[in-house]
Amino acid sequence: MANYYDIDDILAEEEMVPAIFQESAYGVGLLESSDDTNMVEAGSKAELPFWLSCDLHGRGVISIDLPPWFRRDSRTRKEIGADAAHVDLRSRCQYFYELGLKIAPLVGDKTIGPFLLVAFQTRYKEVLVKAHTATPAVAPKYLTLLTNEEAKLYEVGQSSTAAFKKWRMGGPRLQKASILGRKRKPIK
Amino acid sequence: MVFFAFETLKFASGCCLVAFSFRSSIIIGTSEGFKLIGFCHFCLHGFYGPQSDLFAQVIEECNSHILHLGSLIRKSEELKKTEELRKTNNQELDETEKKELRAYSSGALVHHFSLLRNKRCLMAYVYHRAEIIRNLVWTIGRVLPEEIEEKISSAEKDYFKKHAATLQSYMSELDDLDLAVDMVPPKDPYIKVRVLEDIGNVVLSDHSANLARHAIVFLRRTDAELYIAQGSMEEITS
Repeated sequence: MANYYDIDDILAEEEMVPAIFQESAYGVGLLESSDDTNMVEAGSKAELPFWLSCDLHGRGVISIDLPPWFRRDSRTRKEIGADAAHVDLRSRCQYFYELGLKIAPLVGDKTIGPFLLVAFQTRYKEVLVKAHTATPAVAPKYLTLLTNEEAKLYEVGQSSTAAFKKWRMGGPRLQKASILGRKRKPIK
Repeated sequence: MVFFAFETLKFASGCCLVAFSFRSSIIIGTSEGFKLIGFCHFCLHGFYGPQSDLFAQVIEECNSHILHLGSLIRKSEELKKTEELRKTNNQELDETEKKELRAYSSGALVHHFSLLRNKRCLMAYVYHRAEIIRNLVWTIGRVLPEEIEEKISSAEKDYFKKHAATLQSYMSELDDLDLAVDMVPPKDPYIKVRVLEDIGNVVLSDHSANLARHAIVFLRRTDAELYIAQGSMEEITS
């Protein structure tokens, strides 16, 4: 269980999940419906945030469905199978992996886990390469494809490259102070 | 970019989650707390003033959830009483009544989970602000700069003062060891700094100096660190 105060976890649970009401419920209303009955009929469909649908699903009030990008023969799955690194996941779900992890045990779809793993592995490689080599002019365009988790990894990769450069440039200055340093090759 | 992300968050919560209080019903998925978290997300990057308006709105929303929850529970309890009454007469609730009972409890569940959710959002918001404030004590010392002071509430100011005092008393227990200084051992105890703001005459650990703007001085590293952290000096390396 993630940290109770973790903001990313809170935001990840805000992602919408399609659901169908198995029971009717009084005292609540759906935004799309135009009637004033102050209740939700059994069988009505709605998009609910994950934090609500998870618990209601556990009590049998609703049954949840997978968001389109996790479904078995969805376009996203095919795209990731073809070239995972260049799929725009950000516009689909900013918390793609987190939501996938949370939703997989609820719907009992065993293919989601391996699917996420493959997607992450191929994409992570690309993120790392881009983070270490991309020029600042290219970076913003690439960042629009990444989920939040990946964008964080990208930034960490970039800051480590920056730290390495700083260390390398600062190197000769520190080495001059010691006698041994002069014997070493100056690093350009 | 950070600001942009925050704006989209705010937009997302603003457009699809609307409370219909005149209809005396709560739209499923309404959570003002989410907006607050959007703000909180933003706070982490640039310290932002307390969103007391939004905070009050979340509390208000919680109150309306409690009202709904109460009335739903009352209604379902009435039904349960009828059920028990019928049982003594060897009768049962008919189908529609059973359905109603379930509908009341599932409606109550929605409000219950919304309350828990709002609680989590509020707690996380306060917690993260407190964390930022605790870090301030370590990085900029015991005096808050004006631009931060105007952004925090009086309770948070109090928390800052108390945390600073606790840290101070702990450090004095350790023979006045300053734990907030840079952890990397210095090559030289003195560093060259440029003064960026008029600080005036100050007493430093080894001498007193007049720190006028644009002056370039040699100071003990430990003396300079706090001023550098506060942005009134910069280190000169050449």
